[in-house]
Amino acid sequence: VQPPGKPLQTEEWNKLRENFQSPEIFEEVMLNSMIRCNSPVDVAKSLLTHLAKRNGDIAYNMLVKYLTLCVQQGQVSEIHDVYHIMKVRFKILEAGAYKLLIKGLSNSDQWRMALTLLEEVKKIMIPSRTCYESCIKAASRHQEMKLAFELYDEMLAKDVVPTLNVLQSFFDFSRGMKDAELQKELFGILLYLRENQIYPHKTFMRSIKLWFESIPGGNWRGHLTSIKDSGQCPVCNHQLEDSNLTEEEYSNLSERIIRDVIHGADTFRKTSPQEFEAFQTFVENRLPFDIVIDGLNVSHIKPRRMQCENLFDAVNFLAKENARLLVLGRKHMLMNSSNWNREIMKEMQNKADFFFAENISEDDAFLLYATLRSGKHCKFVTRDFLRDHKACLPDSLTRHLFRKWQRGHQIVNMLYKILKKCFSSVLSQQPAFRYDCVVQTTGDTWHIPYKDVFEEKYSYQVPRKWLCIQEK
Amino acid sequence: MQSANMLLRKIVRSSVLPFAAQHGIKKDLFPLSRTLSLSLCLKQDKSCEPSERLDLDEWKKVLKSGLQEEVSETVSKPKELSSLAAARETLEMWKLAGRAVPENISEEQLKTFMECPSKSAKKKYLKYLHLKELHKKNDKRKMEEKRERRLEAQASKTDETKKSPFICMWSSTMDKAYNWRAAQSMIFGQPLVFDMSYEKEMSVREVTNTVRQIVLSESCNRRSVDPFHIHFCNFKDDSLYHREFLKQYSEAWDKLLITVTDQCYTEIFPKDKLIYLTADSPKVMKTFDHDKIYIVGSMVDKSIKTGVSLARAKRLGLETAALPLEKYLLWNTGAKNLTLDQMMHILLTLKDTADWKKALEFVPKRKYCGFVNTPVKELKKTLDLINTLKLGKGREEVQKQFAKSYPKKYKLK
Repeated sequence: VQPPGKPLQTEEWNKLRENFQSPEIFEEVMLNSMIRCNSPVDVAKSLLTHLAKRNGDIAYNMLVKYLTLCVQQGQVSEIHDVYHIMKVRFKILEAGAYKLLIKGLSNSDQWRMALTLLEEVKKIMIPSRTCYESCIKAASRHQEMKLAFELYDEMLAKDVVPTLNVLQSFFDFSRGMKDAELQKELFGILLYLRENQIYPHKTFMRSIKLWFESIPGGNWRGHLTSIKDSGQCPVCNHQLEDSNLTEEEYSNLSERIIRDVIHGADTFRKTSPQEFEAFQTFVENRLPFDIVIDGLNVSHIKPRRMQCENLFDAVNFLAKENARLLVLGRKHMLMNSSNWNREIMKEMQNKADFFFAENISEDDAFLLYATLRSGKHCKFVTRDFLRDHKACLPDSLTRHLFRKWQRGHQIVNMLYKILKKCFSSVLSQQPAFRYDCVVQTTGDTWHIPYKDVFEEKYSYQVPRKWLCIQEK
Repeated sequence: MQSANMLLRKIVRSSVLPFAAQHGIKKDLFPLSRTLSLSLCLKQDKSCEPSERLDLDEWKKVLKSGLQEEVSETVSKPKELSSLAAARETLEMWKLAGRAVPENISEEQLKTFMECPSKSAKKKYLKYLHLKELHKKNDKRKMEEKRERRLEAQASKTDETKKSPFICMWSSTMDKAYNWRAAQSMIFGQPLVFDMSYEKEMSVREVTNTVRQIVLSESCNRRSVDPFHIHFCNFKDDSLYHREFLKQYSEAWDKLLITVTDQCYTEIFPKDKLIYLTADSPKVMKTFDHDKIYIVGSMVDKSIKTGVSLARAKRLGLETAALPLEKYLLWNTGAKNLTLDQMMHILLTLKDTADWKKALEFVPKRKYCGFVNTPVKELKKTLDLINTLKLGKGREEVQKQFAKSYPKKYKLK
């Protein structure tokens, strides 16, 4: 339905209504299409008048729809009126209406009313992140930074995840302000990004840069750059943080992996106790390894070739550098078949240690265990993203640790290079990253990785672009 | 209005035209500009009209006027609400906002609602209740319609006595016959084990669903020609399972012709005769063995917990098997795990006929495209055709062949 361009008389509405295929929902459909077409408020008003005359009342959902239209067009006085009508009519409102009211009022000069509304919401439920967003933005727009940060802290305390928008608005609105307290809070936000491994997008990054450069008295300069593979910043020559975990994190992670990934609720799900024990003694006797290879995964790189040839190439390539290799496989690989040649398998076993798990066991779990057990220098080779194993970890903190460890220790690049070219032309194997890709600081420098676009498609991809900020 | 137009036209003609001609304005442009100015005039006319007569804020007055009496009412009510009442209030508002909310909600359901950990859980629970309510209402309506139709039919029929050579078989008679068979199966029948040790793996809803499925499978077993002797193993008294069974069966629970035990199947049967049926098994079942004892895990798995029953079988060192779904069906979508009653139907059919095709009819149709039953010869034919088309050689040959099989429709050039 196309909403009319101007207010209509009751008779005219009636006529339209009669011509509509299902008259019971005519008003609802009409209001919906008004919201879609952003029709003038007067038109909607005339529809409501018609409704009020016909029924002597207007239903709650119609009021909410009208409110949506008002908020969409920033009609503050109308929002007020609707709020007063609703407040008298209904004891409490529902989340949708509150959200609209808060959003509508926070953009007006009566933004403080949005705050009182937020208090009202808190009485019956946890406010949504958008409610907080509107209020925080309104407060910081009016330079009430303290209030804004109070709301922000409250939001974090309630486990409501702030939008990037909110974080950005803090930087936008505190530009050029000299306030030690405020500065501390904003550094706190940067640390929040670090802890949760959030990467700001380009416009957000720009806000951060501008804020730094605007600090009165401070002599901060920001540069856009990309970090060398060695982990050195080309602008300030600062060496970025190592991707290695600390001792404590490392032991924590290996413990968690054994407990939650390998054993889980039931050891029999991924392996069996006997097998795991056998594997443990096998690994302990041959420690430490330099590279652990997921044999089956690697053997599928080139689908046209024999699987054992693929594996053979990989093992040969990695064995060149005198590395101690461990290849994990399953027992069926030992059976002579079209894909697994016994001769080649024998030859490989001279170059690397092999462990063959039961055919129904999961070899990935063994891969993780062997790599972690060998120590920090040990890398592993697989194309698998290991997402299902990450999902077995119980809390987000350990999952972040896992991610970080994975970034530093999983060799994938090499495998993709092999896919494109032949083996001989690949000279060096690349572990994914030597440096840790998170927001980091040394006090007088900040390094902040950022994404080019707002929506980065893949979570496993790490941004290559950095913002380097230093104080001179 | 017409007169006004006339007037305008006159003015235009008399004053502007010569003026335009003087200044060399193209004549064909002119009518356009005239109509434009006129329509503008008309529009203004109309839009001015309603604002005089139409009070756009009238609806507010209407709403507020209706309020006056209500306000006095609300004031007298106590302001502090109990949490239960507050939840009810929230629900009321959700209903008004047009969300999927049940009409009536019991105290118990309201409590469950409040205990839901998140907003989305609350929404889901309410939607579930709403749908349940809708179904119930629909069923009731249908029942009533049916009853009315029956009454009408009875009214129109004259009471002629039916003469039939058979005695009317009442359901109680049938029940007796079925029970007789089930009793026989308890002595001579092939055992079928339901492993009731998955309670910890499931939510309350899942346990309810499991019990519902077991009830269905028990009834279809009872009605079959040669029923299994059903065992519920690892069954704990006062477990969730037990409570749900009591809800479903009420007094009939104690009269069921099945074996219920808290022992494990490995304690009752020799290990080498047991086969654990699980979709995760690497082994595929080829034939139905009448000497083996099949175990079905009583578990509904709505979240993804792969390998739970396989782990159980591994722990006890039992043989496992999966249905040969891939072999006989062109699988389309959905998980390979089937409901317990479907399993029961399949096993019963296998036992009676040993015909996989017939048995796998009970796999839901949405999950597969069709049976893999094309003979090898035909498969080869299509393969050949694809090859010739792909490689480009022998296209003429194909055409010729085609022409031969469809001589009338197809002519060679």
